[in-house]
Amino acid sequence: MIPHDIRRGLDIPIAGAASGDVVDLPIPATVGIDPREIAGLIPRLAAREGDTVQAGQPVMYHKFDQDTVIVAPVGGRIREVRRGARRVITGVVIETDASAGVVQHRAWTAGELAGISRDDARAQLLAGGVWPFLRTRPLDRLAPSDVVPQAIVIAATETGPLQPGASVLLSEGDKDALQAAIHALGALTDGTVYLTVPAGSSHPALSGLDGVEVHAFSGPHPSGDPGVQVNHLCPPSGGRTVLTLRAWDAVTIGRLFLTGRFDPSRVIAAVGTGVKAPRLVRTVLGAPVADVAGALADGPQRIVCGSILTGRATPADGFTGFFPRAMHVLPDVVERTILGWANPFNGMWSFHKAFLAAFGASRPQDLRPGVYGGHRAIVPTGVHDKVIASPDILPTFLFRSMIAGDLEGSVKLGMLDITMEEAALASFICPSKIDYDEILRERLELYAKEA
Amino acid sequence: MKAFLESTFDRLRPSFEKGGPLEWAWPMFEGAETFALTPGEKTHRGVHVRDPMDQKRLMIFVLYAMIPALLFGMYNIGYQGFLAEGATEVSTVDALMRGAWHMLPIVITSYTAGGIAELVFCVVRKHEINEGFLVTAMLFPLSLPPTIPLWMVAAGIVFGVVIGKEVFGGVGYNILNPALTARAFVFFTYPAFISGAGVWDVGGKTFFVDAAVTDAYTGATPLLTVANGLPGQDPVGLLAEAGWSLGDMALGVIPGSMGEVSAVAALAGALILIATGIASWRTMVGAVAGLLATAAVFNGFAGPESSPLLSLPPHYHLVMGGFAFGAVFMATDPVSSATTELGRLLYGFGIGVMCALIRVVNPAYPEGMMLAILFMNVFAPLIDHYVVEATTRRRTARMAVQAA
Repeated sequence: MIPHDIRRGLDIPIAGAASGDVVDLPIPATVGIDPREIAGLIPRLAAREGDTVQAGQPVMYHKFDQDTVIVAPVGGRIREVRRGARRVITGVVIETDASAGVVQHRAWTAGELAGISRDDARAQLLAGGVWPFLRTRPLDRLAPSDVVPQAIVIAATETGPLQPGASVLLSEGDKDALQAAIHALGALTDGTVYLTVPAGSSHPALSGLDGVEVHAFSGPHPSGDPGVQVNHLCPPSGGRTVLTLRAWDAVTIGRLFLTGRFDPSRVIAAVGTGVKAPRLVRTVLGAPVADVAGALADGPQRIVCGSILTGRATPADGFTGFFPRAMHVLPDVVERTILGWANPFNGMWSFHKAFLAAFGASRPQDLRPGVYGGHRAIVPTGVHDKVIASPDILPTFLFRSMIAGDLEGSVKLGMLDITMEEAALASFICPSKIDYDEILRERLELYAKEA
Repeated sequence: MKAFLESTFDRLRPSFEKGGPLEWAWPMFEGAETFALTPGEKTHRGVHVRDPMDQKRLMIFVLYAMIPALLFGMYNIGYQGFLAEGATEVSTVDALMRGAWHMLPIVITSYTAGGIAELVFCVVRKHEINEGFLVTAMLFPLSLPPTIPLWMVAAGIVFGVVIGKEVFGGVGYNILNPALTARAFVFFTYPAFISGAGVWDVGGKTFFVDAAVTDAYTGATPLLTVANGLPGQDPVGLLAEAGWSLGDMALGVIPGSMGEVSAVAALAGALILIATGIASWRTMVGAVAGLLATAAVFNGFAGPESSPLLSLPPHYHLVMGGFAFGAVFMATDPVSSATTELGRLLYGFGIGVMCALIRVVNPAYPEGMMLAILFMNVFAPLIDHYVVEATTRRRTARMAVQAA
């Protein structure tokens, strides 16, 4: 195990962590999938409204790479296809029906998997609907179905605010599935498969695995982000791609190979001060947010699937999503204060030392979705450097270049290397209130189009 | 109170918004509202929560850090004035009152004239009021002598705000420090009012008492005293003759620019700025190192027939003239200084070197801090360019290793 200590970053002390035992939820009446979550995928329907689909049957495919499919996590009837502006598909809602049947792929034994061929592995990853779990570095999007990655990073680390990690999401019994996934994914690459674990972890599912190089990461967020880890372990070069995924998604992949079935079950945390009782539930991929959250606190709430940094705001009738293992409910009320900017005794928590409260220990805070300042040009105090954990990136120059729209210059300065989590942290702390994460998203989109 | 303010602003807002009758005055409305109340705006894209730090707070903390220099400067103006008139005992209250009498009109003029220029630009260019102006309009008067005519203060700050900042697009885009641009403008257009002897204290110019300066009064600053010394004279001796010890100069009971006299007050400001993480310690450390190193080199060249400035001990340089104030408040301006960490060290070092060079080698003016900072402001992008290039090369090299 090779240790990496990431110094730069920030753990935002936000209140509402989930605790206690995992509550088992019944199979929800409806499940939904929003394809916009899978960046780079242009969805086309593979089944129509009213059709009955088996669990694991494709409901959407990628327009430009038709082998890449999104499957129904649970069998049932397609009740509704939600569409947004310009008829973009914003959700496929399935009314669950236990009698709808299950799509069966080949079940492999552990011995067979150790020698699986690249083509077999790729074919089952694609057909089984788990391919979208793989994300590319750079660009953080859907991998092309014919990719031969330079390396693969399986991250069993999660440092995002209030996001559950390996200790909650992995159990001892997941080790076989994880090992199966390592063999199947390892067949895709001639390079190394890395497994990253939290420093000091002795999780039984994460030790004694074959075919991986284990690295331990410690430090504040975003040290647990696979993109940051790629920048430290194996930065993609020469136009090649590194694939990343989370270890808990790898378990889903492993089960597909061991049982031949798409396993939708997963643990999701309902967190934040907007839920009455933050909790952990066991449910299925695509479960409605209302089921997972339980009772909400009074007043207007903002429901975010994922973390408050990079998560997506979801309507109350929305679904928990493909990647996130937490939904954060945030009270959508912002208090104003008189002359707040001039008061050094303002008790709010801040990353900056211009608040006396910042010098004390940081207790979990009831943070609100306020901007708390006017939008201004960057004043380069160098503070952004403190949250960018990827090496050799000068955020002030990169961000300026991105804002100016200089795509070539931005790439030179590391636009393809910086991760969304880092950009999000930079937005969080920015005294000029600039949305670097949105700018990065737009620029990467533009780059993907032009490249 | 809060409810009243909120409802007032909410009621007025439609008139100032796009399409309203007072649309042109939006920057003023925005300025007033965000001055009174923290914004109620919610995040609607990107990260859902934000740190409560904003630029108003950033700038107000720079102002807080200037309070020691401001108060001491106020006291010292009065103290020096009474001293020049031959007083031996000066009460603190008298000195402060007299200092305030001279200083406040200058500060108020700076804020008013600069504020009007800023507002006009914001309305014409349709951008928000930059709170960086709060700092500029305080830095500029603190760097002036107390006898400066008010119309020069007004002309200087307007020049600094407009030419130093607004023509580039406002705070964040300017190349030179606006306060120093203002000072340089006054310095080169009206040199008689801001250099030489006789402008640095208010002796004989007072409203309260009828007094004239004593015969022993020269009105020279310590730097000028040393610069005017004859070749071969001992600089420390010259200063002692004029009545100034190293401690006096560090404390700041010497004639000089209003806020720049006290190195101790500047140090207090530096501690506030560094503890709150607002100014870069690298710039300050670089400047001190550059000044000490260069002054030490000059000491090595000092011979029996050389100017006393050449043999002035390096640590005397630290507490004389505007160095301490400039290094803490002017050089660290994040916009006009270098931006990279290594760049800031180099930039600060360059300021120290240039300051000593101008003080010692240049015969025209004994004080070099203003020009040293402006000079390095111009070079800051070049320094950054090389640091950025090196960083980019390092990153691509690391990737190439992976590919091999």
